[in-house]
Amino acid sequence: MTEYIVETSKLTKMYGDFTAVNELDLEVEKGEIFGFLGPNGAGKTTTVLMLMGLSVPTSGTAVVGGFDIVEQSREVRTVASILPEYSSLYGDLTAFQNLDYIGQLNDMPREERENRIHELLEIVSMSEWADMKYESFSRGMKQRVGIASTMMKNPKIVFLDEPTLGLDPIGTLDIRKLILSLREEQGLTVVMTSHLLHEVKMTCDRIGILNRGKLVLKETMRNLNQTMTGGEDRRVEFRLTEVTPDLIRDLESLDSVKSVTQNADSLYVYNGAESDAEVSRTITRHGSTILMMKPKEYTLEEIFMKYYREAN
Amino acid sequence: MAGTLTVATKELKDQFGSKRFLILFGFMVLLSALAAYQGVDYIKNNTNASFNYIFSGARMSFSFNQIMVMFGPILGMALGFDAINKERTTGTLSVLLGQPIYRDSVVNGKFLAGAAALATLSTGTIAIMCGITIPLLGFAPTLAELSKILVLATVTIVYLVFWLSLGMLFSVVAKKTSTSILFSIATWMFFAIVLSILASAVANALVPMQSADVIVSGSEEGPRFQMTEEFREAMTRRSTIQSTILRISPTEIYENIINDVLGVAGGFGGMGSMGPQGFERTMSLTEALAANWANIAALTVGLVICFAASYMMFLRSEIRPGD
Repeated sequence: MTEYIVETSKLTKMYGDFTAVNELDLEVEKGEIFGFLGPNGAGKTTTVLMLMGLSVPTSGTAVVGGFDIVEQSREVRTVASILPEYSSLYGDLTAFQNLDYIGQLNDMPREERENRIHELLEIVSMSEWADMKYESFSRGMKQRVGIASTMMKNPKIVFLDEPTLGLDPIGTLDIRKLILSLREEQGLTVVMTSHLLHEVKMTCDRIGILNRGKLVLKETMRNLNQTMTGGEDRRVEFRLTEVTPDLIRDLESLDSVKSVTQNADSLYVYNGAESDAEVSRTITRHGSTILMMKPKEYTLEEIFMKYYREAN
Repeated sequence: MAGTLTVATKELKDQFGSKRFLILFGFMVLLSALAAYQGVDYIKNNTNASFNYIFSGARMSFSFNQIMVMFGPILGMALGFDAINKERTTGTLSVLLGQPIYRDSVVNGKFLAGAAALATLSTGTIAIMCGITIPLLGFAPTLAELSKILVLATVTIVYLVFWLSLGMLFSVVAKKTSTSILFSIATWMFFAIVLSILASAVANALVPMQSADVIVSGSEEGPRFQMTEEFREAMTRRSTIQSTILRISPTEIYENIINDVLGVAGGFGGMGSMGPQGFERTMSLTEALAANWANIAALTVGLVICFAASYMMFLRSEIRPGD
């Protein structure tokens, strides 16, 4: 039986008349990396704040790490950590002092704090800069120290709100590796929010898509990939050395191919994944060579427009 | 409680390390040292003057209590006006509250740290004043004078902490520090300048006076002014209305207490500064406290109300995305 570390039931948050989160039912398994996806203003951050006990839900309940988020919000924060979007540590304190303060707030004894800080700064590759002020760090370094700060209390679950927002490619890669290694080595459960599908694709086991406060999709990444690339809208883009009308006719005559269109140098074949081999054989038979073959990439917008339409 | 102490310790380190505090402290020490030096001059010229004239300054307006009346609001509010909203705007608040502490630890800790910083500032300033003047005068305060100095320090701390808690209230109410600093400056201007103008305007409007009330008669020595009974009465009524209005001002309340405690009856411009008889009318400490218990209570109640309001508002406030 799967063990859930987060379970919400009809979790709702209203700001006046505006419904930020609408009857959210969500489970996060222990040890997984859950991607919480949605456009800006979809209610991701609000949900995360509620799950940390920082914002009180208008209705509904949620349990995090075995504690009720309203009745036991302080206890929730002993097992859960958050790295909020646009958050910051104290600029005039050093990396070490910042982590030390967080350790103190978690009632950790001095020796344990110091060991933990050195260990964590090592993990996030910031040991060299331990005694430099937080404000002097680059955005990527700040984010790494930020992740270290969430690990101080040795949490069971960490909420990372847009962890790679505003980072350069190297910084993004660092954070991605860090998240994966924390799960591997510390057995951590991670919930990360993002508005970028490819971002969560790289790290997450499962995703939930939120739009206007409503959960429109909950799916494992593998299933999602399959549905999105193997579904009825599947399209493969080919770049060939030579395209003849004969070839197009032959391709269209294949059973599994729905249609073929040509646009500039590219040939688009709408077919099921099972016929890819047959399509390429047909192309070769016509004396053409495949230079590139690429199934269509779906963007977040397309995915959730599809599910959003279905949900309505 | 552990959370409160942790927050308080960190905040106190921040306060003591901040340029803001050091500048304010330096400024206070400089002004107070000058005031004390002038007090020494006065005491040397009036052999039976009390040691505490280094604080009250007698005939000079430039004295410790005048400095506090003028700059006390700024000192207190400066340490509190950005206590909460600075953490909101820089995004540290959600990290701080993401720790397993109760939310009141944050307000309590910050309040305690601010109060401790102000206590250090005022006792430090008073100690430095004594330290400068005792060698210059060649005598130390008597026990009675010392107890007055202790009361002076305590009342000053309460007064400054009142402004601190008002500043903290602004930092909870206003989302931006630029807004709360404007609130603070406006409040200071109101009590330092506007209120006394307002009070006399109200008094003048409520008690109209005709110029005919003053009889001017010519004589060989020049014009003579003679006040009619009505005129005198109207003047008294006006000043009663004025002082009643001014009683809502914390600076006025503080000034009244300190003047009585230090023994400058009536304060600057009043009886105490009229002549050498001033210090002969000095009240004892018990008399001064008895006369001012309502004032002291008013300051304390104001402090508690401001603190309670910021406490309640902060506990109820939402942590929104971006805090």
